[in-house]
Order: sequence, then C-alpha cells, then structure tokens
Amino acid sequence: MTDAEPAAGFYERIKAYEGQSAAVGGEGRDPVNSPMIRHWCEAMGHLLPVDGSAPPTMLQVWTMAGLSGHGDRSGPYDELLGALDAAGFDAVVATDCEQEYVRPLRPGDRIVFDAVIESVSPRKTTKLGIGHFITTRMDLRSGGEQVGTHRFRILKYAPAPRKAPGKRPRPVVNRDNAGFWNGVSRHELLIQRCTGCGTPRFPWLPGCNSCGGQAWDTVKASGSGTVYSYVVMHHPPFPAFEPPYAVALVELPEGVRMIANVTGVPYDKVRIGMPVELEFAVVDDELTLPVFRVREGV
Amino acid sequence: MVARVNYDEVEAGTELPPLTIPVTRGTLVQYAGASGDFNPIHWNEKFAKEVGLPDVIAHGMFTMASAVRVVTDWVGDPGALVEYGVRFTKPVVVPNDDKGALIEVSGKVAAKLDDAARTVRVDLTVTSAGQKVLGQSRAVVRLA
Ligand SMILES: [Zn+2]
Repeated sequence: MTDAEPAAGFYERIKAYEGQSAAVGGEGRDPVNSPMIRHWCEAMGHLLPVDGSAPPTMLQVWTMAGLSGHGDRSGPYDELLGALDAAGFDAVVATDCEQEYVRPLRPGDRIVFDAVIESVSPRKTTKLGIGHFITTRMDLRSGGEQVGTHRFRILKYAPAPRKAPGKRPRPVVNRDNAGFWNGVSRHELLIQRCTGCGTPRFPWLPGCNSCGGQAWDTVKASGSGTVYSYVVMHHPPFPAFEPPYAVALVELPEGVRMIANVTGVPYDKVRIGMPVELEFAVVDDELTLPVFRVREGV
Repeated sequence: MVARVNYDEVEAGTELPPLTIPVTRGTLVQYAGASGDFNPIHWNEKFAKEVGLPDVIAHGMFTMASAVRVVTDWVGDPGALVEYGVRFTKPVVVPNDDKGALIEVSGKVAAKLDDAARTVRVDLTVTSAGQKVLGQSRAVVRLA
C-alpha cells in the first residue's frame, strides 16, 4: 500500500464524482450487424438466434471501442480513476455486472449510449487489498428508445503486499514430548502406552487419562490408518499454508487418532474411511512431519 | 422465436439441465476479437503473471454470457432473457494446454415473479476447478 491513509477529505473528493457522466452520447462503432453477431456466437458456442437478432448478453459489444481504443470517455471518469491511481489504488478488478434487456437488438439498430458514475463506495478492505468500488451505469438506446442497461462495478485497490510464504510452525519440543520428536527424526511414529493399564495415548502426555499412571513405554505405529474425519480450511489464511487444504483426523489400528495432512490427493477428494499410509514429509532442513498418503488404487 | 418452456408448468425449485463449457486459449482469442475486449490478461501469460494472476484468465463477460446459456438453452430462445446479473467471485484460469478449463453451470428456478409477464428468476451456480467463479448469478427470463 503506497498510501495507507489518504489525505483527509479524500473520500468526499471522490464521492463528488457520483452522478457525473462517464460517457455522453457515445456511438457504437458499427450498427448491430449479422457478421459481428455470428462471430460472437461462434466464439461463445451459442446457437445463432433464428430471427437474426443479437443475443442479449452481447449488449456491451455494441459499445466497445474497436481495435484502436477508446475515444468517447468523458473527463470525470478518467479523473476519478486518476485520483484513485494517485492515492495508491492503482490496481483494478471487475466485480459485478448487471444487465437489463429491454428489447432484442436487430441488424440495423444504431446504438448510442450514455454512462453515469452511479456510486463510489467508502474505503473497503477486501481480500485483494484496500480500495473503493465504483459503479457505472450505461444506458443504451436505439432510435431514441431505451434498449438496455449495462451496470458494471469495479474495485480500484492498492494490492495487499504479498507476503513471502511463511515457514511451517515449529513444534514446541519439551521433556514430555521429546520422545515423540526423536522418533520422528528416525522416521518412526511412536505412540505412548501406559504400562499400568495398557491404554495407548496420543498426543504425548505425562500421565494416563484412564488410570492416572505415570509410567509408560512406546509402541511403534505400523503405518496404516484410515481417515476418521477431516475439515477443509478456507479461512483464515495462515502464512505457511495455501488454502484451501484438508486437515485429517487419522485413526490408527494401534488405538489412537492423530491430526495430520493427507497427501497424494487434492483437498476436495479426501473422504472419511479412506485408507492411508504413514510417510514422513521433509518440510525443510529442520522439520520433518508425519503425514498420511492415500493408498494406491483408492 | 418463442420460449418453449411454459410458465404454468414450472415451479420454484425446477432444476435446469446442467451444462459444461470447455474454454481454451483459442476460445479466449476468438472471444477477444468478437467482443472487442483486448485486455492482455486474457491472452498474454507473461502480462497476466506480472499483474499477479496465476495465469491467463477468461473474460468476465465471457464467463457471464457462457453461463446464462443454461437458461437460454432451456427456454430455447436467447431473446427471452429480461435481466441478468453476476458477481465475479473468482477468475476462470485457462492454462495453455490442450485441455484448458471447464465451466460447470447448473440452474434452478428460484421464484415465479409475474404471472402476467410470465417471468421467472433462475439462480445459477457456476464453478470452474471446484471454485465458484460467479456469485449471485441471477437471470430473469420470460416463459411461454
Ligand atoms: Zn493407564
């Protein structure tokens, strides 16, 4: 963001463009005509309307500037965009389009159009960055009668700085779980087992949840498992993770469940009951994690 | 041309036959020429990536006009469309391979609007690569 806090009065200044013209008396470069209709239908894979009229959704085409660019944009719209550019809102994306079709357009219709800046939104924070929405409404006429309306909304925004992908979070290794991470470093998945009552437990804890006993030994996981449950994370984003991604709760035959990533399958193909197999993912020089790969042939 | 779906035979909840629309780079070049929209994000991979897009993307107006075919094919008359609006929620990314992208469209009659004008509102669901690419996609269409 080049200008996090635009000057006082900035919004009042750009809001003043509401109601001003974005185009006055614009004229379509060509009258509605069969060759352009046919080319458009062929590009779209639309059937040609049998009565020779233009498909309604071709509306905007009759207002386009042709191959040599715009000539009929009026001052206020360019000024408004310029003011936003200067304030750092220099990126643009189309966000909405609404059209009304008053009557079919037929070859020979000569389109004239006016456009007005309908609204300029207050400052909004979006996923792309901070910016302002600008809505323009274009009225299309032919022979003095209204034939359609084309309303278009853009977001002029300052792109949010793209963060370098973060590092995966580091595990907090302490006296109670060091044995687990030592196992991982040898590519072994170790499960604690209470030597008092034999109950397996995961994650690692100092005491047994069943009997309270503090003595334990370990069992090495065989490596097989099934997806017991999962969620797909869409939001909020976290620096080291690119949403959407699946987080699974994997059930091990040793009698415990653990949270892990499932590999070898897109996030939207993870399913409850999927057989998975343990593997160790080397994330970076300092971090290796147990993950579960979907079994071949599933 | 006359709509071939009768207003009296349609109920809120009526599902329209879904549609899958393939889009390749070639489609976008054709559409650029046919629509007069030559923004390089729709055909120049280098430019698209420089402005932060994952790859070349389809024109929003292309996606919008493609999707509503689910309605006009159902009705049998493109001219029966009265109003149509969409929100561009995600771009349709079109890779430079022989597959391109697929736009999946389904539609459902959301409401019968006007018994005299015989208009209904159809809500569309439009996805590509598992992501919703158009939101609040609603068409008003006049039936027979
Ligand atoms: Zn115990």
